[in-house]
Amino acid sequence: MLFFRSEDDLRAWCRERAVEPGPAVPVPQLWRLSRVWYGNRLDPDVPRPTPAAARAIFAGVGLTGAFWDPVPRQE
Amino acid sequence: MTFEIRVRTAILEAFARTGVAPSPAAVAEWLGSDVTAVRAAWDRLREGRAIVTGEDGVSIRMANPFSGVPTEHTFESAGVRYYANCAWDALGIPAALGRGGTVRSHCANSGEPLRLEVTGAGPDPCGWLFHSLVPAARWWDDIVFT
Repeated sequence: MLFFRSEDDLRAWCRERAVEPGPAVPVPQLWRLSRVWYGNRLDPDVPRPTPAAARAIFAGVGLTGAFWDPVPRQE
Repeated sequence: MTFEIRVRTAILEAFARTGVAPSPAAVAEWLGSDVTAVRAAWDRLREGRAIVTGEDGVSIRMANPFSGVPTEHTFESAGVRYYANCAWDALGIPAALGRGGTVRSHCANSGEPLRLEVTGAGPDPCGWLFHSLVPAARWWDDIVFT
């Protein structure tokens, strides 16, 4: 999980490694995700997100689709 | 609160105070407990993916969002440097701590340094992008690579 300064940099990095790029997430959206995902991580009464909770958290910040689905699909 | 959760919380609080991973002995002392019991909880936390340990099975490699080993993604606040496991966790640490500071990382392609100030309102305006090569369903296939 890495930072890139631009879409061009992301595409160049993927091209060099012959891999397909995944979704690019702008920093403000990553911050929204971080606040929900980690904002209560030090609270002993709050468990780590279950797969269902994770899916809801991703969707809540606009990260949807198969890439962001935490439950492995059956082959 | 179960003993396992007390141990997990003590681990995260130690990271939050110092930026450094605690040992089972340190957590046992903090909790006023027996180190054998803490080690047993350690194993359960690893099995439950609350922590990732190094090859010795004891030293903490990851307790998200904190890294127990130096990385290229850091957050500095109140005189403490925290190592993050990845770009996401570099923002995850200020979110978990609930305080501002400075994120430092770099562009994976160009190497250009990233210095990002974070306040209670969030990060300063920034046009950079976060990218995960691995889809969410496979993050734990190899969490260190992810």
